[in-house]
Amino acid sequence: MTWAIEATGLSRVFEQRQGLLGAPRRVLAVDDVSLRVAEGQAIGIVGESGCGKSTLARMLLGLLPASDGVVRIAGQDLRAMGRLARARLIQPVFQDPMSSLNPRRRVGDIVGLPLRAQGVARSDYRQRVARMLAQVGLTADMMGRFPSQLSGGQRQRVAIARALVVEPRILICDEPTSALDVSVQAQILNLLMDLRAAFDLTLVFISHNLAVVEHIADEVAVMYLGRIVEHGANERVFAAPGHPYTRALLASVLTPEPGLGLPDVPMGEGYPDPANIPSGCRFHPRCPIAIDICRTQSPVRRSVECHLAPEAAVS
Amino acid sequence: MSAVLEVEDLRVGFGELEAVRGIDLRVERGRTHCLVGESGCGKSVSALSVMRLLPRRARLSAQRIAFGGNEIGGLDERGMARLRGDRMAMIFQEPMTSLNPAYTIGSQMTEVLRRHRGVSRANAAEQSVAMLERVGVTAPSMRLGQFPHQLSGGLRQRVMIATALLCEPELLIADEPTTALDVTVQAQILRLLKDIQRQMGLAVLLITHDLGVVARVADRVSVMYAGQIVEHGSARSVFAAPHHPYTRGLLACIPVPGRVRRGEKLGSIPGIVPRIGTGFSGCAFRDRCAHAIPACADSVPEHVVDSDHRYACRLQPGWART
Repeated sequence: MTWAIEATGLSRVFEQRQGLLGAPRRVLAVDDVSLRVAEGQAIGIVGESGCGKSTLARMLLGLLPASDGVVRIAGQDLRAMGRLARARLIQPVFQDPMSSLNPRRRVGDIVGLPLRAQGVARSDYRQRVARMLAQVGLTADMMGRFPSQLSGGQRQRVAIARALVVEPRILICDEPTSALDVSVQAQILNLLMDLRAAFDLTLVFISHNLAVVEHIADEVAVMYLGRIVEHGANERVFAAPGHPYTRALLASVLTPEPGLGLPDVPMGEGYPDPANIPSGCRFHPRCPIAIDICRTQSPVRRSVECHLAPEAAVS
Repeated sequence: MSAVLEVEDLRVGFGELEAVRGIDLRVERGRTHCLVGESGCGKSVSALSVMRLLPRRARLSAQRIAFGGNEIGGLDERGMARLRGDRMAMIFQEPMTSLNPAYTIGSQMTEVLRRHRGVSRANAAEQSVAMLERVGVTAPSMRLGQFPHQLSGGLRQRVMIATALLCEPELLIADEPTTALDVTVQAQILRLLKDIQRQMGLAVLLITHDLGVVARVADRVSVMYAGQIVEHGSARSVFAAPHHPYTRGLLACIPVPGRVRRGEKLGSIPGIVPRIGTGFSGCAFRDRCAHAIPACADSVPEHVVDSDHRYACRLQPGWART
């Protein structure tokens, strides 16, 4: 089986300078992550801010070199691929379309640029751009507009059109709806689900919103302090979360059901310093069920990285 | 029940734009009133009007803005400055921009007490430490010497809340207080606000776009659209029997684990929020509404679901059941 995405032992270290003369701190943003996504799957990656989910996405996209490890896209090593070849396979959609779209280019040029980069003839590409815009629910007269003349939802549609116009195999969406209003978020999620089917896409969907991930993804990876601490089929993770961090995240989701009151999240609050990762299980300082072994020994690398995970949850 | 804040027919305009078009609000002691709506609906402008923190170019008018039974609409800036931070306080979405990055937490907190209460520096510091402790900030005395950027987002929001509560206000206006926070921290901050409200009998006006937050904390809800409140009532009644098509649309947009099947289409509201200028009439939602008829362009009747649940729409109460 070829995997759409196969990341092995992926790590990324950032050096953070402390003041002008201070010694640099080493921040381990992604720590030895291995992840495989089958062709056509939609995987959701969830976690709190600073957990490394965006760093992971940028490495999968080849926008950020890994400090260690290998990414294979459709069986090929990402490092050996040229930019154009990479762009034909994998494309991103980012959170804030206002900063990811060039404000001085018109919509037609923005969506057409990937085609021009791939060497598509000018006579061909206008038609393809128009067709792509129609597929994301924009009319052809939008081609002459600037991003500033569009609403937030329309801008995100343009960003999606730009990503899909070269017909990539994989789409990586990093918080694509976080900057949008709920009614617009629903439109964009519906659109992404339609396009996933139409283009037969493999989808990586990064979000802090578990309800959204539950809705759109087939499988879920939960990240904490640079590691994937739980990874499994959507149904299993949401019905029977194996990691106490996953349970805390799920308990925190506020669904619009009155009368339930506010959940008591079973977790300490202080998000640890990624430059100073706790010993043993990295979640132990916040964990409600930690025992002695958790403080000293790292858990085994398996689908649920917890010493105390119920066997049923571990595959 | 005694109303801490009563607002009648509040209107705010900016040039051609009518941002708030005649809203009423009532916030009672010990209760949480949620003002919910999407960006641009006028919810933040309404809150800023009550605090009189609008930019100078705004046109503000109201039948009545009463605080603790006294009309404050006519107060001058000095009068308002005496109330703000003392008897009514406000917290904002992003504590990084509302805390001054150049001053320590201590100097920003003690300023409030020294200004409104005229206490000594040492006494103000002591009270600040006590309040930080009360809102769950660890190592409170150390925090006084720290700058905002040295704290995490959750801690900064706790500092904001502590600062707002220093003078034990009667009214707290919270504008999207947890939107910038991680989900786990959000639940903790909302619980904190609830606990403090119970202890102090605080009236809270909570502004949010998140119906999940509303469902869990609100006693009363006002749903705002294009500058007007289109539906309001007790949280229980509004969630059990939403009547305005906009409220129903908003609720259908939210994926709820276990309730909405995976891969199933979410409800969505087509189109975008209109910009309302002077001279607009009729229902502002009509261009996006599946139930609109030509008469919706003329006038909008108000219907009563129960004694305090009302909505503005031509559809009759109970329409959604059929």
